[in-house]
Amino acid sequence: MIKIKDLEKIYRTEEVETIALNKLSMEVKEGEFVAVMGPSGCGKSTLLNILGLLDDSDNGSFIFNGVEVGKFNERKRAEMRKHNIGFVFQSFNLIDELTVYENVELPLIYTGVKTADRKAKVEAVLDKMKIMHRRNHYPQQLSGGQQQRVAVARAVVNNPKLILADEPTGNLDSSNGNEVMELLTDLNEQGTTIIMVTHSEHDARFSHRIIRMLDGQTVTENILV
Amino acid sequence: MIRNYFKIAFRNLWRNKGFSVINILGLAIGIATCLIIMLFVNNELSYDRFNKKADRMVRVYFQGDVQGEKMKESTVMPPVAQTMKADFPEVEEATRIRDYGTPKLVYGNKSFKEDAFAFVDSNFFQVFTLPLLQGDARTALIEPNTVVITKAVAHKYFGNGDAMGKIISFKDGKNSPCKVTGVIEKVPVNSHFHFELFASMASYPESKEPTWMYSNFYTYLVLQKGFDYKKLEAKLPNLVEKYIGPQMFKTMGITMAEFKEKGNVLSFHLQPLTDIHLHSDFASDLSQPGDIRYAYIFSAIALFMLLIACINFMNLSTAAASKRAREVGIRKVLGSGKRELIQQFLLETIVITAIALVLALVLIYLALPVFNNLATQNLTLNFTDHPLLIPVLLLLVVVVGFLAGSYPAFYLSSFKPVEVLKSKIKSGRKSIGLRSGLVVFQFFISILLIVCTLVVYNQLFYIQHKKLGYDKDKVLILQDTWMLGKNVEAFRQSVKNDPRVVSVSGSGYVPAGKSNSNNFFVSPGENSTQMIKTLRYDVDENYISTLGIQLLEGRNFSRQFGTDSSSVILNEAAATAFGWKQGAVGKTISRLNNEGRKEVYSVVGVIRDFHFRSLHERISPLVMAFSPDQGNLIVKLRSNADIPGLTTLLKKRWTEAGSEEPLSYSFLDERYNNTYQAEQKMGLILGIFAGLTIFVACLGLFGLAKFTAAQRTKEIGIRKVLGASVAQVTGMLSKEFLVLVLISCILAFPVAWWAMNKWLQDFAYRAAISWWIFALAGIVIVLIAVFTVSFQAIKAAMANPVKSLRTE
Repeated sequence: MIKIKDLEKIYRTEEVETIALNKLSMEVKEGEFVAVMGPSGCGKSTLLNILGLLDDSDNGSFIFNGVEVGKFNERKRAEMRKHNIGFVFQSFNLIDELTVYENVELPLIYTGVKTADRKAKVEAVLDKMKIMHRRNHYPQQLSGGQQQRVAVARAVVNNPKLILADEPTGNLDSSNGNEVMELLTDLNEQGTTIIMVTHSEHDARFSHRIIRMLDGQTVTENILV
Repeated sequence: MIRNYFKIAFRNLWRNKGFSVINILGLAIGIATCLIIMLFVNNELSYDRFNKKADRMVRVYFQGDVQGEKMKESTVMPPVAQTMKADFPEVEEATRIRDYGTPKLVYGNKSFKEDAFAFVDSNFFQVFTLPLLQGDARTALIEPNTVVITKAVAHKYFGNGDAMGKIISFKDGKNSPCKVTGVIEKVPVNSHFHFELFASMASYPESKEPTWMYSNFYTYLVLQKGFDYKKLEAKLPNLVEKYIGPQMFKTMGITMAEFKEKGNVLSFHLQPLTDIHLHSDFASDLSQPGDIRYAYIFSAIALFMLLIACINFMNLSTAAASKRAREVGIRKVLGSGKRELIQQFLLETIVITAIALVLALVLIYLALPVFNNLATQNLTLNFTDHPLLIPVLLLLVVVVGFLAGSYPAFYLSSFKPVEVLKSKIKSGRKSIGLRSGLVVFQFFISILLIVCTLVVYNQLFYIQHKKLGYDKDKVLILQDTWMLGKNVEAFRQSVKNDPRVVSVSGSGYVPAGKSNSNNFFVSPGENSTQMIKTLRYDVDENYISTLGIQLLEGRNFSRQFGTDSSSVILNEAAATAFGWKQGAVGKTISRLNNEGRKEVYSVVGVIRDFHFRSLHERISPLVMAFSPDQGNLIVKLRSNADIPGLTTLLKKRWTEAGSEEPLSYSFLDERYNNTYQAEQKMGLILGIFAGLTIFVACLGLFGLAKFTAAQRTKEIGIRKVLGASVAQVTGMLSKEFLVLVLISCILAFPVAWWAMNKWLQDFAYRAAISWWIFALAGIVIVLIAVFTVSFQAIKAAMANPVKSLRTE
């Protein structure tokens, strides 16, 4: 599903040049659950942003679903992104001014799903995530675990092929964290590919494979399954 | 401490250059506009106040309602001044002015036509504060045939030589030559009269006539200190009974009681000197009066302008301040109290206001000449003339600085340090309601001004394109042709024979601009006692055709009818007033002439009503008499006539015909347009201020959009990650501001409609306020707002979401 070869990303400020990704290569197959680990500043988030088509790379090739997307312009990347990729963030990134229902509905609006279909889809996914009873609440009224469940709901409402999770349990206590990890595992079992960045060995054990990074390169891979 | 505050203030200004520029520029424009308008209004209010006795001076005016015709005259009868001083002890002084039109004066080989010549009573310079540079104010005008002149006139006639004792004579020889007995600097600009030559009333015989039957004298009284003029005004009805009554009985044969029984009213009134400029509505006066309503309107605009600028300042400061939450947190952790923080932020806004004030003063210096030119004013920003200005400006800085700074100061200083440092503050989101309200207010004012400007211009367009009942295009008025004396007929023939000329009419009566004017009281039929006030035009047989006036019934005047000297042509309004809606031709009208003999005229024609007065007034009854008069020559030109060539030729012929004066001429359409100068000025000034208000309001909107976009960076990031396009995000951000602008429209439209409807009531003939004016104003403001906001919105929408989401 994902094939990356010799990917480079360099951040430049006036005086300093930081190499975030240094000729990184990796491959993820459809249906896999991959965890990416490594110390702060090793390039995990940069990798995730490029995989999520939020950012572009400076060099190298990135094939997504058989298409070379590395040189896509922003509009094409956005188009590809909204149909194929869902995101889960450490700090949930829900919009405070919108209700649970409206937050989950957003991706459907942007992909142009009709109102009636939207209702069915949002309700189905809220049901599945067990937060239907909270549909008219605002994010601040929910606990952290509930907020992350809403974020996961929002990530999957469009039935993406790939979910990118950036430390999804980082702001949660362990019981809420486990709950979220189980949600992701369920999704993976239903066929969704998941790439997750994490600091937690515990969480990483939910995945099939752990990629460890250092200084913008992959150093080891542990296959768990 | 203070030094640290100043340092931080300047560094902050520098770091947020964009905000600072918007802030300071907006405030400076607001202050500059406000000050210019204040200078203008102050000047309007200062009229005649240079007179030391201004607060106890009044002018006597005369009002009447005779047979349903209302009149209001700024002049009264010759004996009024003397009589009032004699009859009422509270009148300390009484003095008169008799405007003497445009006499031609001669000194040696120099001769000039003077248009600012008056006869005044000998106490004139003791009543009005016009100090004499030479001569004695008490005695200069006691003798007959003396004159006091301005320095400019002295220079014109006598060069650098001494004016005193020189003799100026009248070209026409009707008046005796006058000896110069005094020189004044000049009459101040803010005086309601602007004479240059003041001749002694003793040399003007009419001034001694005891008649109470006509009025030509502007009459001013000085009352005792602290005496209420209303009390004197209450005694004035006696004057009518005592003096007008007997004379009326003698000339018209009816007693005052009978006259009043018929519902007629005659009365004297008093008007404070300082009210003359702004509160007058006389048919004619010594100068074009101002209008108190314009003073109010402009004061309101000045206030709004300042308010809008302050609102901007407040909005932007609050917005920018939230960026400084961290600084507040750190200062608090380091021991700063709430008071010190408030002081610091207030000091900052006061510093900014002071910078803006300096910039505003520079702007005023640059803009004042332009404004003076556009609005035909003569304003100066002069600290010596306005000693109060400096404290007022300093106060303004403190007040504006405090107003603008107080909200952010109190808001910021209330932050809790722990929350700020953990960046938990939802910065500024709370105050969005207040700020939206302020933006609505700004746009409310902008839209109001746009609509008002459009209505004024629409009315001006209407005035320009209104069918007037006469043809004002390609009509040349050769003025004062009577001056040619017996040569005028030959000159007229030469004009008429020019191939570029269609027709020529001789008449002192012109439907636009300066014209002769002659009230004509006539009765329908020969024996009626009913008197109707009409206006009489003395014209020749070419008048109607030259001006393209439509003859509805009967015939034009003709030299072939020997009897036409007693024929008249009526306009429709006159025919209706006489009760002859149809079949007026053949009827007769009559009147008693000055000697008390009856004159009878027969109606030979009726013309369609034409606008011989401004569109402010309804068309009134007009009687045209066949009485060729060479006051002006009215010349209709061919549509392709070479005008410069013609005027050059006419100037030459004019000199050949023996005139020493240059030919003065004007075009009827220009004269017509000049009638509406006040409205044009109003339109222009409104337009300028509307533009400035919009500009300042847009600066505010721009800043607010920038701030909101910054506030919502994270949200925009999330939406983009979820697939929102640039267009969608831009639309979302712009929409919120458009809603505010639309709310402003909804609020402003009814107010604008109400105000402009009121303004239009001044015109008897007016254009309707139609829906497109509102539509246009709405579209203009929406476009401007979209343009202002979308710039920021697009910038925010284009930003890389990764960056906005990384700030965790």
